[in-house]
Amino acid sequence: MSIVTVQLGQCGNQIGFEVFDALLRDSQSSHGLCCKRENEAYQASCKERFFSEEENGVPIARAVLVDMEPKVINQTLSKAAQSGRWKYGQHACFCQKQGSGNNWAYGYSVHGPRHEESIMNLIRKEVEKCDSFSGFFIIMSMAGGTGSGIGAFVTQNLQDQYSNSLKMNQIIWPYGTGEVIVQNYNSILTLSHLYRSSDALLVHENDAVHKICAKLMNIKQISFSDINQVLAHQLGSVFQPTYSAESSFHYRRNPLGIDWHVRPPSSGLPSLGKKSLNKDLHFNTSIANLVILRGKDVQSADVEGFKDPALYTSWLEPVNAFNVWKTQRAFSKYEKSAVLVSNSQFLVKPLDMIVGKAWNMFASKAYIHQYTKFGIEEEDFLDSFTSLEQVVASYCNL
Amino acid sequence: MRGRRVGAAGARAIAGVSRSLPSDHSPRSSGRAKFDRPDDSAPWQLLLPRALPIPAGKRLASIALGKAALPALCFARANPRAALPAAGSVGWLLRAEDLCPRQMLPDPSGPLGDEMTVWGQCDALASLGPPAPHMETEGPVDVRHVQWLMGKLRFRWRQLVSSQQEQCALLSKIHLYTHGCHSDQSLGHLSVTEAEMLRDPEGGQQVSGAGAAQNLDLAYPKGLHFCTPGMGPRTFWNDLWLVCEQPGLLPGDWAAPLDPGGASACSLLFPLRVLLRTLEQENRRLEAVLAWRRTELVFWQWMDTVLGTCAPEAPAAASQPTFLPWVPECGDGELELVVRELQTLEEELREAAERRRVAWEAKARGCGRGPEWSATRRASQETVEKELGALQRRWEQDSGPAQAHGPHRLVRREDGAAGDRDLRAAELIRTLRSQEACLEAMLRQLQGQCRQELARVAGALPGLIWIPPPGR
Repeated sequence: MSIVTVQLGQCGNQIGFEVFDALLRDSQSSHGLCCKRENEAYQASCKERFFSEEENGVPIARAVLVDMEPKVINQTLSKAAQSGRWKYGQHACFCQKQGSGNNWAYGYSVHGPRHEESIMNLIRKEVEKCDSFSGFFIIMSMAGGTGSGIGAFVTQNLQDQYSNSLKMNQIIWPYGTGEVIVQNYNSILTLSHLYRSSDALLVHENDAVHKICAKLMNIKQISFSDINQVLAHQLGSVFQPTYSAESSFHYRRNPLGIDWHVRPPSSGLPSLGKKSLNKDLHFNTSIANLVILRGKDVQSADVEGFKDPALYTSWLEPVNAFNVWKTQRAFSKYEKSAVLVSNSQFLVKPLDMIVGKAWNMFASKAYIHQYTKFGIEEEDFLDSFTSLEQVVASYCNL
Repeated sequence: MRGRRVGAAGARAIAGVSRSLPSDHSPRSSGRAKFDRPDDSAPWQLLLPRALPIPAGKRLASIALGKAALPALCFARANPRAALPAAGSVGWLLRAEDLCPRQMLPDPSGPLGDEMTVWGQCDALASLGPPAPHMETEGPVDVRHVQWLMGKLRFRWRQLVSSQQEQCALLSKIHLYTHGCHSDQSLGHLSVTEAEMLRDPEGGQQVSGAGAAQNLDLAYPKGLHFCTPGMGPRTFWNDLWLVCEQPGLLPGDWAAPLDPGGASACSLLFPLRVLLRTLEQENRRLEAVLAWRRTELVFWQWMDTVLGTCAPEAPAAASQPTFLPWVPECGDGELELVVRELQTLEEELREAAERRRVAWEAKARGCGRGPEWSATRRASQETVEKELGALQRRWEQDSGPAQAHGPHRLVRREDGAAGDRDLRAAELIRTLRSQEACLEAMLRQLQGQCRQELARVAGALPGLIWIPPPGR
């Protein structure tokens, strides 16, 4: 079951490269801590998912690269080719010369429709190459113009043209003290649009990853490359083959078959009665949790702690909300590793903050003309605010 | 002896006996089903009248059973009363299979083709009907839970679609690659099951068991990753190509005994299948014999009781008595009683229905005759007529090509020739599409009704702001 990755913008392309690199390096590593047969099954599964084969044996990433500037794409293509272990397809990229000026509206309303046909053609060719296609993985950032605007546009198109396929968007949450002044506008517009057309939003916060680099890895001068590598590592350990509880004799066929609902069910009626604001929350309430364990002793790992009903909403049984995937095959150099993918109230605060900041700017009409000039009206902003407020409210009410 | 019941153990014994008969005569159908019901007081009562005419007033000494295994076993018992009739009288157990059309008998070796099931129009629509509330909840259901479930359903649907697409691609490839490889010319190519069996004789057995569709998930990665370690997806197709195009490359054990001079795949497949079937039949027969051995004692004890009561009459018969099935005397009487009961029941029901109808009419008449009432009446009549008309049109559309229902084998044909009972995929697709359109129309109608209802509810509460969830 193959996944087609769409890398958008500077951020998307850089991260995409790191992800493919991490995946292939792990699959080819010899420190699997499992028997040869197991290792071969793992390799074959990983290869089929993310790479297609060429005659001379060098795997080609199943990816489409899109950017409005040539610099990053060229860098990405050459880095991959230089590694010698894998590469991107020759005709798998689309780029222009102008850039999007960190303007979501420009990406969404101008670049998107203008290049829609070319981009969708590239994607279609990649999908047709798959023997068995399972879904899309779209990597983009929220703060810029290309990744966010074109990303939202492309995801919508994918929803229309491939309505029966799973789509997961990898979103990079910008630094709180980011450099792009309108990053909050871009973020809320992206999120509200993705909310409607994507199936799952996987979020990585730059701030959080930065902290990991600084505190856990003790890197002094943290570059984007370090951050991207950590990110890729995390993603790799989510995406590599695992066994799920039901079918323990072959690797899960569909890696996107996660019961995530990052889109929380929004109740149409406002909540009645007062909510106590001093709720003593020990945990962020979750809708779904997925734990992925790799390496030694996975069979005896105790995950009972995750089945505590206190972690979940009242209307969900832990058994429905919690999943565990395991494999003995170790990931990368780690003897044991664990990943937690969670759909919970964890993102409420950051989201609330972004919405708040964007609202403040909007209230004073700052920079709005840059958006209205390309077709994004104030009404669109208001719609975005409404849907995101709904999301925040729904998650708070869990 | 009248009304003597066959105990549970006895029934099992008889079932064992019947199973040990040769498979082409084995009554897998209603005959055996009757035996398996221990409470049936006279299991063959229902079968016999159809199979053999019963001489009036004759009571019987034992049962006529078909030739093959049983006589051998009985004679081995050295029981004088076990003398069975000569070869000429084929017993009713054998006939039982006439009661059951051949299609209902399961294929002994499992389906080898790529199974597709054709559902009739009525089957598909019958499974719909008014949505009945299935959930038995004690309190109000949290709407978030329902939305969560909807989301889960959506994801499962997507996974299903991609699995389905994968399966179709695989089928298409195999049919294309193996064109010309099948011994049966009317089929022309191998099915997934056959291809897998050819490629991997031991592992392929599992594929043929539960049907190719479900086990594809197992077969595909199994074939790719586990049975032949170190091989990737490409080599599966290489394998298949080699097998079909260059038969000499088959492993020695396969080719040698059958045709050392370079057997082709198609000439291999047919005798293999025959061998497989024979082996399975043998297996089943052996199992049945074992089961029979276990319950033999019970059977003979019961036989003794049967013969015991009839023994006094035996001397009156000729040296070679005719053995006929035994029927209890009061059989006819019981039947009459049942018929009479049914008739009384029917009468009662008719009267009750009549009473109800009269009461309703009176009520309806008294409901009012104002213009409002007749307008409503007319409106509902029109809706009913419209729906009926639509139904009839749908029925006429679909009952055009006479479609056989049930499992079919998927075959790819270049020339487009089709047999009588064959269905073309294109026609089937057209039918399915029209059914889909009907269902979608129904869905839209129901959604509209829901929306109206919600709007009504929301409108009834003043001061309530209704923000519908973001549309998808």
